[in-house]
Amino acid sequence: MRIRLERRGEVPLYVYILAPTGAFLLAFLMGAFLMLWAGASPIKGYGAFLRGAFGGLKPFTNTLLRATPFLLMATGISLSNRSNVLNIGAEGQYIMGAIAMTWIAVLMQNSVPGFIVILVGVILAVIVGALWAGAAGYLKAKMGINEVVVTVMLNWVAIMLLKWLLRGPLKDPRSQQWPMSPPIGPHLPYIYGNLNLGFVIAVLLAIAIWYVLFRTNIGFKLRACGENPRAARYAGFNVEGMLILSMLISGAMAGMAGAFDVIGTFHILYEGIVVGLGYTSIIVALVGKNHPLAVIGSAIMFGAIYNGVTSMQSVTQLSYTLSKCIEGMIYLFFLISEFLVLYRIRLIRGDAS
Amino acid sequence: MSEVAPGQVVLEVRGIVKRFPGVVANDHVDLQVRAGEVLALLGENGAGKTTLMNIIYGLYTPDEGEIYVMGRRVHIRGPKDAISLGIGMVHQHFMQVEELTVLENIILGLREFGIILDTEKAKRMLEEAFQRYGLRVDPDAYIWQLSAGEKQRVEIMKALFRGAKILILDEPTSVLTPQETKELFKTLRKFVEGGMAVIFITHKLQEVMEVADRIVVMRRGKVVGRLMREEATIPQLARLMVGREVLFRIEKGEARPGEVVLRVEGLRAMSDKGVEAVKGITFSVRKGEIVGVAGVAGNGQKELVEVLYGLRRPTAGRVTLFGKDVTGEPTHRIIKFGISLIPEERVTMGIVPTFSVADNLILEIVDREPFSQKVFDGLRKLSFENIEKYAEELIRKFDIRTPSSKTKAGYLSGGNIQKLILARELSRGAYLIIADQPTAGLDVGATEFIRNLLVKARDSGNAVFLVSGDLSEVLSLSDRVMVMYEGEITAVFRPGELPIEEIGLYMLGAKKMPKEEVERFWE
Repeated sequence: MRIRLERRGEVPLYVYILAPTGAFLLAFLMGAFLMLWAGASPIKGYGAFLRGAFGGLKPFTNTLLRATPFLLMATGISLSNRSNVLNIGAEGQYIMGAIAMTWIAVLMQNSVPGFIVILVGVILAVIVGALWAGAAGYLKAKMGINEVVVTVMLNWVAIMLLKWLLRGPLKDPRSQQWPMSPPIGPHLPYIYGNLNLGFVIAVLLAIAIWYVLFRTNIGFKLRACGENPRAARYAGFNVEGMLILSMLISGAMAGMAGAFDVIGTFHILYEGIVVGLGYTSIIVALVGKNHPLAVIGSAIMFGAIYNGVTSMQSVTQLSYTLSKCIEGMIYLFFLISEFLVLYRIRLIRGDAS
Repeated sequence: MSEVAPGQVVLEVRGIVKRFPGVVANDHVDLQVRAGEVLALLGENGAGKTTLMNIIYGLYTPDEGEIYVMGRRVHIRGPKDAISLGIGMVHQHFMQVEELTVLENIILGLREFGIILDTEKAKRMLEEAFQRYGLRVDPDAYIWQLSAGEKQRVEIMKALFRGAKILILDEPTSVLTPQETKELFKTLRKFVEGGMAVIFITHKLQEVMEVADRIVVMRRGKVVGRLMREEATIPQLARLMVGREVLFRIEKGEARPGEVVLRVEGLRAMSDKGVEAVKGITFSVRKGEIVGVAGVAGNGQKELVEVLYGLRRPTAGRVTLFGKDVTGEPTHRIIKFGISLIPEERVTMGIVPTFSVADNLILEIVDREPFSQKVFDGLRKLSFENIEKYAEELIRKFDIRTPSSKTKAGYLSGGNIQKLILARELSRGAYLIIADQPTAGLDVGATEFIRNLLVKARDSGNAVFLVSGDLSEVLSLSDRVMVMYEGEITAVFRPGELPIEEIGLYMLGAKKMPKEEVERFWE
């Protein structure tokens, strides 16, 4: 008996919808067993999950707030995926963006109006994020250095830089021994509750990038370079240039996400911002099939999962690790369902000859 | 297996069915192979020959059907099973380790030479085998130093060393010179005299008549003919293969060459390995003529084409288009200047398989009106309506068989992909068409269609530069021919001026025309 994977032919649309739904349900089922084992009530837990994610305007706007960094980063990652470079470094670019924003705020917030602080900070965050990713793109394009390795290593550089800055130049002198920045006053305009303009900007950017990718000559060339770099070169396209460009934009989006979280969500910089949002965004892009419009939907869904799990944890008194475990399981089942959409598993029977 | 009597059936398949999404590659195929015979498996591309052989070699599992080796039913689950049953296969693409020597490649993975290799013993056995079959390759040469023909001999030796009694060769002559082909055929005869069975996959009719004992013709997954060589004729085989009579002639009148379009002087270029691959060559192509390059693959043709199309920088020399210096210009500028390329590997270089047929048809001209309109500098909005309209027109004009212009180009057959590329390259207003192996691997119908297109392009005033490993193609299409060997032009002539044997000598570097004569030819 052997197990073999076979690629499916054309996949009907309903499979694309059924597979992730099934994954969701299976993950919840597994999560229920975990909760029972931990002595919590799954019904209460999942009730809290749903209320936390969608239960009313307030939780829903919180979900959208949580979706904002996912949307920005996953849109950027989709773009670089389309040109066939893997940006595993959104995490680091996000941190660099957050650092840039905080640094500008600390430097300027007492002397200039808030909107100028925001403008300058966001622009700097975008530039720093772009360079953080662009460096990996440049090394890949010019020297063939694997971008996965470079972007992952740059994540650690960013994390270490953050730790050092919070204990040194950016440390709030009043915070005693806690490594955190001074509070940041300027904030993005609020729409409802905590939801701010950042979400609207992220949606508009996703639509703009969708337009460029699928409706203009630059997107046409970028996709051609990603799908078949050799044919693209034969068609006279600048394959290296497209690769670097897509990494620059990908990094810029992640840098912006970092800045938005600082001035929209946390209003402070601390080590707690490093929770792997950049890595999760890779899955968000994957679930959105690297299509910016679909990514809007998948980002909101992941925002809902994130908030749902948080509320589930507080209601059922589950440990943080266990609730994170359930969250991880949802991601894992999603990935498996993605895989099963493309491949079928066949058992092959046969006796020895 | 020495007790096998000549004529005994050593391999038999019954009722083999293999389905792929959308096609039945093998539809109840029966086949018998006997010891002491060369069986030619003849058919167009996509007829199911290679699929069948891959089933026998264990690379695919059949959906239905049975395989018998020496009269015993077997289940072949991988090449390992096939090899242990005495089946060997020489693929179109060689599976060798470039950095190892011939000897090392041949004994790679074999147990009988010990953990610490007994290379002396291996070498003795190899020399013995070479002697017996009249093959010759230096056992200590590295694979990367070998020509395609030599690599093929290594591949055959590998199969023999693993005890192959049934040898499958998949299009073995596509990489060989005429002389090498003759030698291969001699070797195959020795194999079958020694009691082996050889299955020879091909779509070249001439070779079938030369080497086969028995011929099996496949079409659309089915066996449509079984003949002894003596009772077969070429027109009959062609009819069986394509299901209709094919004229092996190209409608081609006298060339009316005009002004010089492309002039190349003293061009030099390096290969990827850093070795000089193009060594100071000079030639020109005029309006309304086809200049053909004959030569064994790997003698600088690839690098020459890349330099002409701006994909590789020359190290010396000059390229001019209508007298204008275009040396070292990048590809997107070369495209603008009016040079078209039909690249060597149609799927990897010629199309973006995941893009639609329409998108592939405007690939290089997406920046032009009316396919896109300027939004601001550098950014242009695509006009799907105009792209569609243009695509529909080309699909009709070039008879590209596709469900629609929105179908992904990768789903098309090889012949239709090539038609797509020709449609694109001939329709974008170029003055010079470079065609690199334009019909390699295509079936008779598509080959004929594409050759006629190139002649038509010539007659409508284009300059055509043809590079082909198929000597008969070069000779039948070209108005002037140059032979390339090791980066130099070793001969220039008009078709009909030299006998094939002599051209073969130039192709192998055994003969060379004086440089002055070569250069005077282009004046």
